[in-house]
Amino acid sequence: MSHGSIIKIPFGPQHPALKEPVNFLFEVDGETVVNVKPRIGYNHRGIEKAFELRTYTRNIYLAERICGICSDAHTTCYTQAIEELLGVEAPLRARYIRVIIAELERIQSHALWLGLVAHEIGFDTLFMYIWRDRETILDIFEMISGNRIHYAMNTIGGVRRDIHAAMMPKIKKGLDLMEKRVKYYLDVVQTEQTILKRATGVGILKPKDAVDLCAVGPILRASGIKNDVRADDPYAAYNEIPFNVITCDGCDILSRIMVRLEEMLEGVEIARHALDSMPEGVIRVRVPMKVPQGEVVSRVEAPRGELIHYAKSNGTTKPERYKVRSPTLGNIPALCKMLLGGYVADIPIVLAGIDPCFACMDRMAFIDTKKNRKWVLTMPQLRRKYKRKCMQK
Amino acid sequence: MHAEITSLLAILVFPGVIFLFVLAFFYEWVDRKFFAKLQNRYGPLHTGAHGILQPLADFLKLLSKEDITPFASDKLIFALAPIFYLALPLTTLFVVPILSQTSLITFEGDLIFVLFTFTLIIMTVFLAGWSSISRFSTIGSIRATLQMLGYEIPMGLVTIGPAIAAKSLSISKIVEWQSLHFWIVFLQPLGFAIFTICLLAELQFVPFDIPEAETEIVAGWRTEFSGRKLAVLRLGKDLELVLASALITSLYLGGPQQFWLIPPIITFLVKTTFAVMLLSLLRAVFARFRIDQMLTGTWKYLLPLATFQVILIQLGFGG
Repeated sequence: MSHGSIIKIPFGPQHPALKEPVNFLFEVDGETVVNVKPRIGYNHRGIEKAFELRTYTRNIYLAERICGICSDAHTTCYTQAIEELLGVEAPLRARYIRVIIAELERIQSHALWLGLVAHEIGFDTLFMYIWRDRETILDIFEMISGNRIHYAMNTIGGVRRDIHAAMMPKIKKGLDLMEKRVKYYLDVVQTEQTILKRATGVGILKPKDAVDLCAVGPILRASGIKNDVRADDPYAAYNEIPFNVITCDGCDILSRIMVRLEEMLEGVEIARHALDSMPEGVIRVRVPMKVPQGEVVSRVEAPRGELIHYAKSNGTTKPERYKVRSPTLGNIPALCKMLLGGYVADIPIVLAGIDPCFACMDRMAFIDTKKNRKWVLTMPQLRRKYKRKCMQK
Repeated sequence: MHAEITSLLAILVFPGVIFLFVLAFFYEWVDRKFFAKLQNRYGPLHTGAHGILQPLADFLKLLSKEDITPFASDKLIFALAPIFYLALPLTTLFVVPILSQTSLITFEGDLIFVLFTFTLIIMTVFLAGWSSISRFSTIGSIRATLQMLGYEIPMGLVTIGPAIAAKSLSISKIVEWQSLHFWIVFLQPLGFAIFTICLLAELQFVPFDIPEAETEIVAGWRTEFSGRKLAVLRLGKDLELVLASALITSLYLGGPQQFWLIPPIITFLVKTTFAVMLLSLLRAVFARFRIDQMLTGTWKYLLPLATFQVILIQLGFGG
């Protein structure tokens, strides 16, 4: 359906398909997308700067608030980095608890994602069903930590709360229920014709493109590439637990759905194994306030993909520089590739397909594209600039 | 004089305008409540018993909201489109039998009139979207028109079925024929299925809610409407639902029939409620098609099947 005229459609920063502000400018020929221009930065929160102003202990809670859905992945990454700088290791039981929480979080995050994808393709019934089942996991979190979303489980040198024997039956029951439901949804997405019609062959990302454009996490695995930080560079107790890295070679939305659903099943298995083989012992070691000089990079497999934290310490109680590379940022170039040549009607599902979390990834840089110049504004400069603008008004 | 007042009351109050408005709100509630139950939700809950007054409350609230006309819009068409969108299904409902087996207005060929107004409704949708000069509205209205090209012909073809069976193009005569013979749904189940699918597309329900696909083009052709205009558009949509369910009832389920002591109006209400629930059920179990998939689907499958149904009737099956 080519009409020969190209319409520019803005997508966001406010749009019903977007849960967070981001802007895409689509150039559309009829119903086909011919060009995509992403524009990020609407939700910049200055978190990296805030890291430099707070002590290491307070930063745990700041790291937790980088993302609402994968809060545990960020704290795990943060505490790991600082533990490495300190030269301490969390006790084995603490590391097992970290694995359990991480896997439960993966299950609830993928469930949330699948619900959103169903909503994007207009299948609201599936959306409601999945989010109902997701409550099971959130209830387990509430029982363990007292919170449904920000669990605040990790601390430097271990975890803050233990998983008691009395909690085991409820957790296992929840996992059984989740396993049953996920198997049902696996069946649904493979047989329901309207889902297959909307998800098969949509948002293709070839394995070569996936690697070239540095895609991460389930996107990369759905393009058939076996890449998982849990297996490649085991952290916490992942080296002691046997598990499979799920891949699928469909390269489209359907295989992304399949990879995530299979990962939920695998997550159930990992959590069960960890619950059964969790050793007795302490759950945390005490650590000093001051962190010795040095720098460190820490990696974690968040539900959305590889998460990288970098910390530089100058020997005081506050980090000198902290840097977060969240998985969504890694997936943006791949996303633009997926959208090209697709239909307008497929934009929401392809966009949702990478499980975007724009608030976690927003960065700010001042770039003059004409002169190819980059610069950094200091706080006093920014304040002056802002003040002038206010006075003009 | 007395007869004139009675007929005026019939048109304005019962079973005319006011009754149809009440019915429209009621069926919106049935649709929302049943849809919610299917999705494991509660649906409207607090306004009136089981939220039965919620559609009315929404309507009144929208009436009191600010009515914004976009600066660049074609103001006359923008203002007229909601009125047409409300008036068309309302007028069409007068030719559908509700109270007894004959409708308020009946003439030979009113079935064609109904199909014609269905087309006009989509034309109004197109004008509404086009006059808003918003990118989302433009795409939405183009999609609505494209979609019409897909389902209109199969719908026209299958509605010939009941007409051939009753040997009349008048809906009242078709209802009358059914009361003497069988319900047409038993004679032409295929036609019933195709007609229901086409009505889903006409009503812009999932899987054919392509012109107002929320996650793609905001509210589609309705994006720029607000306040009173949006309230009228919503009421128009509800009336379209009433019209669709009344047509299913009249053409395939025997229309308002007298069963023993039960008056025809009750059977009509029961049957239309069933039809509304059928439409809600169908919209709960699918994902949305893409516009190209919808068009190929209707031309590849729906149209041949509709033709096949007509051939079957000509061969003497189900006629």
